[in-house]
Order: sequence, then C-alpha cells, then structure tokens
Amino acid sequence: MLPYLLVSGLTTGSLYALVAMGLVVVYKATTVVNFAHGELFMVGGFLAYTFHVLLKLGYVVSLVLAVAAALVLGLVTERLAYRPLMRAPAISVVLAAVGFSFVLKGAARQIWGGLGDYIPFPPLVATPAITMGGLIIVPQQLVVLAGALVCMGIFTVFFTSTRAGKMMQATAENAKAARLVGIRVERVYAFTWGVGAATGAAAAVLMAPLTFVYPDVGSPLLVKAFAAAVLGGFGSLPGAVLGGFSIGLIENLAGGYINTSFTDISAFLVIMLVLIVRPTGFFGPRAVRRI
Amino acid sequence: MRTLRIVLMIVVALLVASPAPPAAAQGVTADEIKIGALGALTGPGYLYGRLIMNGAEVVYNEVNKAGGVNGRKIVLVREDDRCDAASAIAAAKKLIFQHQVFMLHGGGCSNASIAARPEIEKANIPWVVFASVADEVTLPTAPYIFSTALAASIESAAQLEFALQRGAKKVAVISMRDAWGRARYNPLMETFKRKGVTPVADEEMSPDANDATPQVLRLRQANPDAVMIVLYPKAAAVYMRDAAKLGFKPLQIGQSALGDLLAFRDQVAIPNALERFYTISHVRYTPDDPEMERWRGLLEKYFPGDRMSVYNIMGIASANVVVEVLKRAGRDLTRDRVRDELNKLKDFNTNIYPGVITCTPTDHQCHKTPAFMQLTGDKVKTVGVTTVTR
Repeated sequence: MLPYLLVSGLTTGSLYALVAMGLVVVYKATTVVNFAHGELFMVGGFLAYTFHVLLKLGYVVSLVLAVAAALVLGLVTERLAYRPLMRAPAISVVLAAVGFSFVLKGAARQIWGGLGDYIPFPPLVATPAITMGGLIIVPQQLVVLAGALVCMGIFTVFFTSTRAGKMMQATAENAKAARLVGIRVERVYAFTWGVGAATGAAAAVLMAPLTFVYPDVGSPLLVKAFAAAVLGGFGSLPGAVLGGFSIGLIENLAGGYINTSFTDISAFLVIMLVLIVRPTGFFGPRAVRRI
Repeated sequence: MRTLRIVLMIVVALLVASPAPPAAAQGVTADEIKIGALGALTGPGYLYGRLIMNGAEVVYNEVNKAGGVNGRKIVLVREDDRCDAASAIAAAKKLIFQHQVFMLHGGGCSNASIAARPEIEKANIPWVVFASVADEVTLPTAPYIFSTALAASIESAAQLEFALQRGAKKVAVISMRDAWGRARYNPLMETFKRKGVTPVADEEMSPDANDATPQVLRLRQANPDAVMIVLYPKAAAVYMRDAAKLGFKPLQIGQSALGDLLAFRDQVAIPNALERFYTISHVRYTPDDPEMERWRGLLEKYFPGDRMSVYNIMGIASANVVVEVLKRAGRDLTRDRVRDELNKLKDFNTNIYPGVITCTPTDHQCHKTPAFMQLTGDKVKTVGVTTVTR
C-alpha cells in the first residue's frame, strides 16, 4: 500500500504545486493574492476539454493551446481586474479578483457546464494498472506526475534563465529599481498574471484525465494551493513546490494509514502545526523586527 | 301581505342557514389550478429539479389537452431553489405568497427541502415531494406533506438487503458524511445493526475529492464481497474510476442519486468499470424501455433537446399521483380535500413506480418499492424490485 500511496500522493501533490506556483508568481510580483486563480485553473481545464475532446486535437497540442489561451486570459484579467485598481487599497484589488472569479465561473457554466455536468476527460494512457509483487503501478498517474515535473522544470527555466523571467524577478525584488533600469514594470505585471494563469492551466490539463472538469473545480484546488504556498512560505517558488508535494503526501498517507476521514483535514492540521513552530513556512523570509 | 312577509322571512332564514358554497381556494379559479414546482433549475442539482419538473409538466400538459382535472387546467409555476437552503426558503415563500399557488409539487435536494419544510408546514399547503429522500422531509409526519420519493431509510435498507440476497457475506461502506450523506449513512448503519451484520470497512470520502486512492486501497485490504456506495455522482464517479484503475471489483451497490446509469457511465468513462455495479431507481422503467416510448415522444415534443432520463420518468410518475388526487378531490377543490384524499390513497398503481403508492394518515412516505438497475452493454435493465416493510 505504501508505494502506491506515495506515488498517488506525489501525483496529486505535483498538481497542487503547479497551482501554488501560479499563485506565488503573481503574489511575488504584485503582492496581490489572486483569488481568481482557481477559476483560471478551471477555465484551463475546459479549454483543454474543448481542444482535445470537442475539436479532437492531440493531447499535447491541446495542452499547449490551453496554456497559451490561459496566458491571454491572465493578461485580460490583469487589464480588467488589477490594473485599474493598481493604486487602490489592497482590499479593493482582492474584491475585484473575487468578483472576477465569479464572472469566470458563471461564464464557464454558461458555455460548458450549464447543465451542471461533471465532464469526464479521456484517460491519457489506456493501459490498466499493473500489479508486480503487490506493487500497483498505474501508468496514467506516472504520466501525469512526469508531465507536472516537466512543466515545473519549464517554468523554473523560464524564471531563472530567460530575459522575461529575469525581468519578472527584478520587478518582484524591487519595482522602483526595476523601473529605474528601464524595465516596463506595468508590462511585467501583465505578463506575470499571464504566466500565473498559464501554470494553473498546465495543472488543470494534467489533472483533467485523473478527475473531471466542472465549473466549481477551482475553489477547492485554490484552497489546497493556498495552503501549499503558505506551508512553503508565501512568496517562495521552491516553497510552493515543496508545500504542494507535502500536502499531496500527507493527504494520502493520513487517509491510507489513519482513517479516510482524515484525508481532507490532515494537511491543514499539519500546516497549523508547522506554522506554530515556523510561522514563515519552509522557505519564507524570517520576520525581523528592528528595534 | 302578512303571509307574503312570513314566506319571505322563511326564504331569508333558509338562505342564511344553508351552508355557503366553499370559498375558492387560493390558486384555484373556475378554470385553473396553480401548482408550484420547487426544485433546482440551475447548477449541479438540476437533475433533481428541472428534469423532474419537465417530466411532471409533460403529464400536466397532456391532462390539460384532455380537458384538465374536473374542468380545470393545471398551471405549473417553477421556482429555483438552487439546491440550497436559503434559496429554497425564498422560493417556497415566493410560490406560496407571491404566486399564490394552490399546492406544491417538488423538492429535489434534501437539504433544500428540509430547510423549506417549516415555511411550507406553517402555510398548511399540500406538498407532494417528488425527489427529496431525506427522512426529515417527511418525518415527523406533517398533515399536508406527502412524498412519492423513496425515503433514504427505505433505500438504505433495500441496498443492504440486495447485497445479502446476492450472497455477500462481507459488506463494506463508502460514504459522504455531509448532511446528504448522513441522511442515508445513519439509516444504513441502523439496517446493518438490525440485520446483525458488521461492515468490514467503513470509509469516508469528501464530495469534492478528486482522488479516492486511500479509500480504494483500504477497502481492497478489507476484501469485501460488496460495497455500499453512499456518494453523490461526482464523488461516486471518482471512486469507481479509481476502483477500476486498481482492479478492485466487488459487488458495488449505489443509491438513487446514481439512478441515471447512462450519465454515470459517461462520467466514469472507463470501459467495463460498471460491470458489477447496481443501483437503486425510484421507477420501474429505464429511459429506453419500449413502455416509455409514448412519454419519450411527448418529452421531445414539449422539451426539445431533453434526452429522457430516469429523473424525467420520476416526474411523470409523481405527477400521475398528483393528478389522481386532484381528480378524487372533486370540483369543490380545497387544500383539506387534497390532504384527505392523499391520506386515503391506497395501492394506487402509476404503472411507472415499481410498486403501488399508499399513504396513510400516520405515514406520508408513500413509495416503498425500490427497483435495482444494472448497465449491460449500452442497455440499462431492471434486475430486481424490493418492497421494504417497516
């Protein structure tokens, strides 16, 4: 049971990590928690469904198109819900994001889920589970886990090695200094929202074959991603990844070895304990008080 | 002159003493009976609202075409409870006080119906529940509230009975423990106790879960012959997908929330995953049954684009009960007469429910005969009918 719970936990955790990465990217650059991130994830799933199931495009092509479309949607979100309120109090920006999340959910219900259906997404791999000496291997999960790791790798390379990624990092570190050296900060903000949405969409496309796409899928995922980001230290990308994997593993192990009623709450119990001991999470900056 | 005065006085006295014709009841005119339909018209709960109402409306339209009930046409007014407690209270109030309906026919999601019950009970308005299964909707018995849906306690008893009839010795449970799940899980556990059976595993799953791996692995370890599934369609589909992926194939027995087997198959979307899956249906027929041909045609006529489902059939069956009771209540229609006729309804055969409908003044859960369905290839077939006695 342990090996399978570990693989399953890592798979789910990798998806939490991807969603958390999107949340952290936007937060780092703009100090705004994007409460519409769950719905951007949801739209990514529906876009993949449209490309792959309705338009019968290949899975990888659908993934790329869904991620690209989500990037554009992220840019639009920034333009409509964030930029006009850039100088407004933080609460206004949060409310705008929440409002935008409802708009996206309503739109998805109208376009894809008006009947409230949970839409199944075809499995990526048709091969059934293989049992080898008591060890159960589900190829589908391994493919999703590998896909999530590849996506994380691509986003990491983007942030650390590309010009756009470096400009985003510079803006996140110090927007004023970035502006002084000629970086067009507003454009970077917009691009950050786009990249955040794209990571969410990548997670949604990978997750879809394991579960369903439906208009309400975003909210519970956002809660898990938020928890992962907090556990990792809000603002830290490696922290978000570690937090995501930790939550996936804790959920599965607690459900498997303690009781299935612990599946949902176990991760939050651990987070509470971790934050009591280390309020800044795994990689969050230590709070320094100047006297 | 004096004689004339005496005659006039006698006439006036007779007129005063004779009983007045019953005042027209609210929602009833010379040629119309207004019925309020309460249920989810939007959101994931639309199955238990809009689809059932569509089925009921087909019946009402046909009755109206044939001249109505005792000369009155039925007008159905719909309000959306969105499967949500607060919306259900508002919807019930709107139907009763704003639309001024004569009676209610509806109630899909149990939580919404439970929330609306006090308001409806206070208004002394007849309410025929068409889909809400939680026992709290009909218990304790309220004078004007009756149900043509199978109660959760009846379904749970039938579920275990069916497993035992199929030779299961070791029985496990996977359930949701929210209000909906509790309404079914608690009676199921009571039935286990009554039958002297101890579940070999008792696992929980959240309605939002996207992964049932721990649940399936724990159930697999207990090696049951049968698993009682007390889950909403989405969670049940996740569970069945993971069970199929992990090669876990005991007898799997669902409840009426999974009554639309074709839709459920589409959601599970793994070939042969439902090979050993059975579920409860409130009605005897499957949507593609030849006996349903006439209703299928009518549904397509009145609601183009609707693919007939068991939920439409439930509406058709329940509306037949409402029409019968209105007929029996006669032309001088009052709410009390409808209540009295419902209390007297005995062995009424709709030819759609698996058994007869019987209400008594002390038992308003009028439907006690679940049918069990299985998917074979592309066809849903009825594999058994059980009448639950208490």
